[in-house]
Amino acid sequence: MTKRLVQGNEAVLRGAIRAGASYFCGYPISPSSEILAQASVYATTHPEFRFLQAEDEIASANAILGASLAGAKSFTATSGPGFSLMQEAIGYGHKVGIPCVIVNVMRVGPGTGMPTMPGQGDLNQTRYGSTGDYTSIVFYPSTVAECYEYTIHAFNAAEESRTPVIFLSDAFLGHLNEVADLDTIDVSVVPRTLEPLASGGTRLFSGVATYTDGEPATADADEFIRQYHESREHRVKVAERYAFYEYGWNKDAETLVIAFGITRRIAQPLAAHFALFRPIRIWPTLDKELTEIAARYKKIIVIEGSDGQYANVVERMLLRRVERVPLLGGRMSIEAIREGLAQIGMLPAESAPSGSESPARVG
Amino acid sequence: MAVKDKLKTDLFPTIWCPGCGIGLIMQQLATVMDELGLDKLNTVIVTGIGCTGRMGAYLNFESVYTLHGRTLPVAEAIKTVRPELHVIVVSGDGDLASIGGNHLLHSIRRNPNITVLCNNNEIYGLTGGQTGPTTPQGTSTISSPAGAAYSPINLQGVVNTNPNAYYAKTTVYHQGPMRKAIREAIEWPGFSFVDIASQCIENNGRRIGFSSANDMLQHYRTAYKPAPPGSTHLEPQQLGIVKGVPLPVAGE
Repeated sequence: MTKRLVQGNEAVLRGAIRAGASYFCGYPISPSSEILAQASVYATTHPEFRFLQAEDEIASANAILGASLAGAKSFTATSGPGFSLMQEAIGYGHKVGIPCVIVNVMRVGPGTGMPTMPGQGDLNQTRYGSTGDYTSIVFYPSTVAECYEYTIHAFNAAEESRTPVIFLSDAFLGHLNEVADLDTIDVSVVPRTLEPLASGGTRLFSGVATYTDGEPATADADEFIRQYHESREHRVKVAERYAFYEYGWNKDAETLVIAFGITRRIAQPLAAHFALFRPIRIWPTLDKELTEIAARYKKIIVIEGSDGQYANVVERMLLRRVERVPLLGGRMSIEAIREGLAQIGMLPAESAPSGSESPARVG
Repeated sequence: MAVKDKLKTDLFPTIWCPGCGIGLIMQQLATVMDELGLDKLNTVIVTGIGCTGRMGAYLNFESVYTLHGRTLPVAEAIKTVRPELHVIVVSGDGDLASIGGNHLLHSIRRNPNITVLCNNNEIYGLTGGQTGPTTPQGTSTISSPAGAAYSPINLQGVVNTNPNAYYAKTTVYHQGPMRKAIREAIEWPGFSFVDIASQCIENNGRRIGFSSANDMLQHYRTAYKPAPPGSTHLEPQQLGIVKGVPLPVAGE
């Protein structure tokens, strides 16, 4: 394999296949539909890869949970409104402990919103969308090559944490074509961790609070709290192994820009004027890393495609005020960023030409 | 093996109310499982929630206790990934026909080789007795004090939109026909649905004038009559089986 043009959505599918996925179920929705379509094409020549276009996203999310219990690494792909429909199943997956991957190629919401325009407004939905308390692990890359790489990480984290892991992309990144050689990207693959159904036991995979013997535990607070902390501690520990972020640009600047996903790419022309922190693992937040880095800067600006979903989190984490540049209505461009910076009096006097375009990363 | 090996009897007594019809379904299902050699290595149970959903906990098999209404996408995916398994769905009428109605329509259309047992008690029992999709028009419930406003869903009609599906209507009083239907349904190559009228004395029966569970069973005995042999359509309160044209199932 040599370098060729690859689309972001295609890279996600190829990453999933590389990670060992053998079951996809989805429902058409812009701007994620290429993943569904290409998965259907792949299935025609790979009978071991099972594909279903379901009646809706509720069925899709529940089907990948069933497929995972049956023994397949499984995934679905959707966008904001479809992701909303999956929330109940996501909570069920967390309760029961089912590994799978849900790809959300974000557009502008709420409602049907702006189906073909890029947005970043689903961060809260990935963390707080379902009922109850649970520990979401969420990744959001910035390049087509990273779409491939972090899809594999998402499957690995799903196996290790035994939860539905969310992989975020956006309309811009999903439809972006970049030259990449995906076969040179080497991420080791975590094998299946869950013994498949009908292995000879009598397990009960229950969304209802239940004791290990199958008796209902629907009014036992102590048992609930015990199970909750046990799974939370395990999942936080797993997430720590996936603490991916990028810290770069002009580290000697006075101001730290926080930008992620496609926004980090769009903000590249500002590289000479600001330091950059880019979380790749969106949830759980990178508290230790960001706290340490942020302490070096007088000011912090969060540039994001929502009205402060991540900025609010950073303010609460650091207990200090952050400046905000919200990019709304799909206006995700360097002009919109400059306009936003000007409004808060943070536009650099002269924006020098951009530095290196390739994001670096650590973690 | 014996029938009782199909059950987790150490968890008995069940949580079901005295006089509930669900145990009668479980008894016949366990009997058929024993007859057909279904075991922990070749069978998976998928249940909805509510009273009926608890059956998965009492059957001595691996079981998925899904979200309300989501049995069919889960069951279908399991069957797709593991076509060698028997996948048996046990769920209530509200679960399958109301909140899960869209899945029912489309699962039927796709004709997966799974078996669905519907505990049809014409009520939402566990939540206290609200109108369900199968509640007969005019029935007084705690959410329809003046009588259920609409005619019930036609489950037979929905299932038979697939010309290759298996549909049986039976009651928990008619144990022999119920056992036969469960057995045939499990052996059917494609989508099979056993619609089992079943009493909920505590949260439905007493409110609509029955004095006991036995009173409800006697009602099934007298009200339900076998359909004439060869019937391709069952009238309300007719017992019978409507078989489509069996198709070889893809992937098997």
